[in-house]
Order: sequence, then C-alpha cells, then structure tokens
Amino acid sequence: MSMTGTDAGSELASFLAHSLELEAEARERYGELAESMAGHRNQPVADFFRRMATEAEHHLQEVAELAVGMALPELKAWEFDWPEAEAPETSSYEALHYRMSLRQAMQLALENECAAERYYRSFASASDDPDTVRVATGFADEELQHAAELERMMADLPEQAALLREEDDEPHMPE
Amino acid sequence: MMQAIKLKAKEYKSGVKPIWCPGCGHFSVLNAITKAMAGLGIDKDNTVLVSGIGCSSRLPAYVDSYGFHGVHGRGLAIAQGLKVARPDLTVMALGGDGDGFSIGGNHFIHACRRNVNMTYIAMDNEVYGMTKGQASPTTPMDWDHSKLTPHGPGVRPFKPAALALAAGAPWIARAYSGNPNQMAKLIAEAVAHPGFSFLHVMSQCITFCPEQTDWKAIVDERAEPALSDADEAARLFLHESGFQTGLLYCEQRPTWPPAGAAIVDQDALAGLAASFRV
Repeated sequence: MSMTGTDAGSELASFLAHSLELEAEARERYGELAESMAGHRNQPVADFFRRMATEAEHHLQEVAELAVGMALPELKAWEFDWPEAEAPETSSYEALHYRMSLRQAMQLALENECAAERYYRSFASASDDPDTVRVATGFADEELQHAAELERMMADLPEQAALLREEDDEPHMPE
Repeated sequence: MMQAIKLKAKEYKSGVKPIWCPGCGHFSVLNAITKAMAGLGIDKDNTVLVSGIGCSSRLPAYVDSYGFHGVHGRGLAIAQGLKVARPDLTVMALGGDGDGFSIGGNHFIHACRRNVNMTYIAMDNEVYGMTKGQASPTTPMDWDHSKLTPHGPGVRPFKPAALALAAGAPWIARAYSGNPNQMAKLIAEAVAHPGFSFLHVMSQCITFCPEQTDWKAIVDERAEPALSDADEAARLFLHESGFQTGLLYCEQRPTWPPAGAAIVDQDALAGLAASFRV
C-alpha cells in the first residue's frame, strides 16, 4: 500500500512525525551519552550506547522510508505530544552516572524500549485509522523484540551492586 | 530581524564534543537552546552566545554560532555591550549559579534593571562543579556534602527569581533540565521578548549533588498565566519552593538604550579600534 499523498493533517502523518522525532531523539541522546561515557573512560558503556545510537539510526531510516512522499506536519520540539516530558525512547538525564555499569546501562535501554513499545501500542489502540493501527502495531512489536534482545544480553551479565553516586574524590583545596 | 531558516536542532550544534559528566543537566540546556534556535529559525551567523567561567560556561563552544567565552562573572557585561553595539544580533548570555550570582552578581542585578534586549540563561546546580563541588550562592544552607563545608554553608541561599524581580527584570521564567522541550519553548519566548529575559534553569549536577536526581519528583509546571503585577510576583518568589517552572513574570517596559539614541560615535569607535592595531 502506498501512503504517498497522505495529508499532513492526517492521523498517520502525525504518527509518523512523532515516530521520526522519537527515533531521532533516541539516536541523539544515545550518541551524546556514548561520547560523554567515552570521555569519562567508561568504555563498555560508551560502546553499548554507541550501538544503541546505531540501532536508533536504523529505525529512524525505516520510519523515514515509510514516510517518503508523504507530507508530514512540521512541529517544533515543544509541539510534540508525549506521555512524559521527553520522547519515550530518550534516556532521562537523572538516570545516568559516569560510573554506571554495563548492566545498568542495559537496564536503562530496556526501560526506554518498553516505554517506546507502550507509546506505539497506546497510539494503535487509540486510533480508528486502519493504516495508523497497522503501522503503530508493527512499531510496537519491533520495540518488544528489541526489549527481548536486551533481556537476553542482560541474562549473560553478572548481577551488580547498586550504583554508587556519591563522589568520593578528595575536594580540590587551593592554598 | 530574524530570518526564517529551516535547520534541524542538531545542525545548530558545533562539532565540539561536550566534556560534561554523563547525566549533567547542561546537556539538556544545550539541546533546548538548539531546539529553540531551530524552532525560531534563527540565523546562526547573527547569533552570539556569551559566557563566563564554569562547567556551564563551556556551552558556547558547543553551538554553531558566534561565541565568547569571557572571564568569570562577566558574561552579562560583555553580552550587554555587544547587544548595544550590534542591536541586529540575537544575544544570549549563559553561565552558572556561581558565575552569575556570586562573581557576577553585581552584573546580574544591573542587567536586570538596565533591560537590554537580550536573554540570560543561568544554569543553577547549586554547586561549583568545575572546582569539584564547593558551596555556591544557591546551595542549601544545610548541604554538607563538601569537605569544605562539612556542616553546610550555614548561609541562606539566594532566590534568583526574587532578586531579578527586585532589580527590575521584566521577564522571569524557570525551567528544569529534565524537561528540555518545555525549556526550548521558554528560550524561544525569551529570545522573542523585547527586553531582558531571565531564564533560571534548575540544571542538576549528577556528580557532586546526586540528591538532585530527586528534582524530577518535585518540579511543578505552572498552570496559571505569567504574573504581570510585581507585588504578586514578589509574594510568589519569596514563598514558593523554587521548583515551579514556566513563565512566571512578564511585563513590558522600555529597553535600554532608548530608541533612536546615538550611543555609538562611529568616528570615535574607528579611532579606538585603530589604537588597538599592532
């Protein structure tokens, strides 16, 4: 089925605009985190976030291909309608720390995938448009697969203690 | 005059990679600024970001616009001078709580009363992070995480919004680093406001103040419209929790310099420039 020519005001166009933003935000945040973790010498977590950024880029391209030829609404960053403050697959800053372990990073990514799955699923269940329901359900199923893959990867990692957030370096005390 | 330019937020970022700690709230401010610039269609060649010193003051390097990383606490002085000399530019000053309310505190209050048409974004994490976690002007008086103040600073923290109001700031808003999209909207509104706009950002320091991860649970987005009555705003700012976000106060008043005032003598300026040539 071709979606070319779909009106920018249609539900499907709005959904795809949101999906593009969701994946773009995930890619940007994971990329940003990969850089900052590498800068703080947490290479395993940096590598993992880099991989997640690449995954998000792939999904972004998939959504972009679906939207080829369609007129999508041009929304400013604050005009998107998200269940929470940021797009569902975007890692919250307060959940991060440069000392976080690979397992903790994966747990965070798992929560992101689950949030995206809930978002797509709820969009599908709230829609009366068959095209929107079909595409949103497909995206939700994909997110569920990603979550399952992350769970498999986490099963191979050892259990770890809680994140130590307190900074224990000595303070800088100039004379 | 801003031109309508269609760029994505990421296209307003420079290629310089931030060195902030992962989870630092300043990443969110950087994202909000670039989203606001994209939303407004700002011409980056006619935009200048000016800062002082501190973790947050590194931000101009990460934006693909003109930037000036100034001396400690003097970002506002430089930014005001620039805007007065070049009113065609979009000028934003940036800095942290130590830079803006301690070292630059004097410039802050006079920028509020002067009302030059520019935006000031203060990234408040209640700590001097770059020097490894000392108490700042906004640190809670019982914050005992630093070995330099093992019993807390014992001094009442500044209330930046109240201070700004008392000094005459006509546009006062607050944002939280956990909500960069709301922050982007506020920055866009701040830039569009014809006068001095002060955006106080609660921007967490994940490293030296890990307790700030709890802010997410206590920030409260203001539902009511912005106040325009200074008495009402004073009562709000003196008694609120400090975690109410949104546009809090807005009034219109004449900017400085007055319209039509010839404050730049071009001949004198050329002579001054010549005197600096080597």
